[in-house]
Amino acid sequence: MKKMFAVQVVASLLVSGALAGMFAFTPVYTEVRSGIVLVLCLSCLKLEPNTATDFTFETADNVPHPSFILENLSKGPVFLHYSGDACAGCDIMYPVIEELFSVSFGKQDMFHTLVTFDNATVGYIYVNIHHTIDELRDAQVIYDKDHVNGIPMFTIVTLGYDNGIVKPKYTTVYGTLATFGCNTDAQRLAFLQQLMKESIDMYHENKAGYHQY
Amino acid sequence: MKFQLKRLYFQIILFFTANLGYPGLPGLKTGFCYPFFYCQACPAATSACPLRSLEQSVDRGSFSWRLFLYPLLIIGFLGTLTGRAVCSWACPIGLLQRGTGRVARKVKKFPFANKLGQHRIEKYFRYTKYILLISLVFVTSYLIGFIFTDICPVGFLTGTIPTLLLNPGKFLPNYFFPVAVVIFILFFVLIFLIERGWCRYFCPIGALLGPFNKISFLHISVDIKDCTHCNGCSYVCPMGIDVPNMHRDPECILCGKCVTACPMQHITYERR
Repeated sequence: MKKMFAVQVVASLLVSGALAGMFAFTPVYTEVRSGIVLVLCLSCLKLEPNTATDFTFETADNVPHPSFILENLSKGPVFLHYSGDACAGCDIMYPVIEELFSVSFGKQDMFHTLVTFDNATVGYIYVNIHHTIDELRDAQVIYDKDHVNGIPMFTIVTLGYDNGIVKPKYTTVYGTLATFGCNTDAQRLAFLQQLMKESIDMYHENKAGYHQY
Repeated sequence: MKFQLKRLYFQIILFFTANLGYPGLPGLKTGFCYPFFYCQACPAATSACPLRSLEQSVDRGSFSWRLFLYPLLIIGFLGTLTGRAVCSWACPIGLLQRGTGRVARKVKKFPFANKLGQHRIEKYFRYTKYILLISLVFVTSYLIGFIFTDICPVGFLTGTIPTLLLNPGKFLPNYFFPVAVVIFILFFVLIFLIERGWCRYFCPIGALLGPFNKISFLHISVDIKDCTHCNGCSYVCPMGIDVPNMHRDPECILCGKCVTACPMQHITYERR
């Protein structure tokens, strides 16, 4: 009996001590909150948002565009790719995006490059929300036009004309693009290529006036 | 107040506590892991599913010791104190099965269901939850990136269905949806067919909590010397345990039904 009590006391002290240590000395609480509780893995949800590809000027809650987007936008449209760990949808889309821009990078890396697409320069920014900085993670909410808070998420920021002013205009699509009838990698690639072409055309149409912004 | 009624109130209060995360009502989103089975994809969830954290910790050959240890320590903390009592006192799926258990008890009177629950391989079938935990939560996540939560029936019940109901027309099914529907139907059939069927055979979190019964402070003790072997305790046990012969059984969820059923008060909660 005494032996069992000793085991119980040691076990409970070890576990509670280790747990208290984790709260005190590691960012695990924030990690779980921002990486699991606040962000939906759409494949775990088994659903995809029924969204449209329309470009819009209004960011979610009218938050201004982040500076890293505006900097890149002076060179060309920006493709913002949100992904995460343990996300089947992200895994499906990852090779499609690699093929779309002919790039190669680690799934847990932060990655940013300028690529040439359809004779235009495109800023490609890859964000794994589980391995990134706050500035990039926070930008997800800004472009989450359908208030889904889910991954994978793809945002294309280009330029548009609005009441005499050229402003950033963007669209966001989610998941594996099943909403748009894409069920194979080839269909997903073709869909994103078309969307990119549309954004590049808009960019070229409005680029001259961008300095006015 | 009757003991089982107290437990019911406790379960209902904890169910609402686990669902304080709905935006604005009051929108409490924390960084804790639930010590039971509940999906963070539920629009009202306050915390993360421990399995999600475990899967993410070993995603495709990577290893994050923080995400690995964190849910294990939360479960271990409650496990060392109360063993598997979480399953019967706190888990919302336990609450659901408490409801379906009445039907399962009636179904048990049919010979086929009775045979199903008392088949000689039944006790070995209980190891399925450990196999599920190791294979679908750890091994496939580590090796091929396939995770249990993609097909999880509890996630479907507490995450997918409420999301669809609260956002009509906003979401469409993805490629995992049909598989998840089939598993969800099987889950529902199971809990109506066998009392606490999910907890007995498939719950990976039950598999994590179960071994703590061996060392937990709180446990159920049977005074076997004075037992009259009326078998009333085993009859009411929702987990189908042979109560007089159990000693810190990993299957025991400490619901206390055997405690209240014993006419001689030979079964008691012990604190050491």
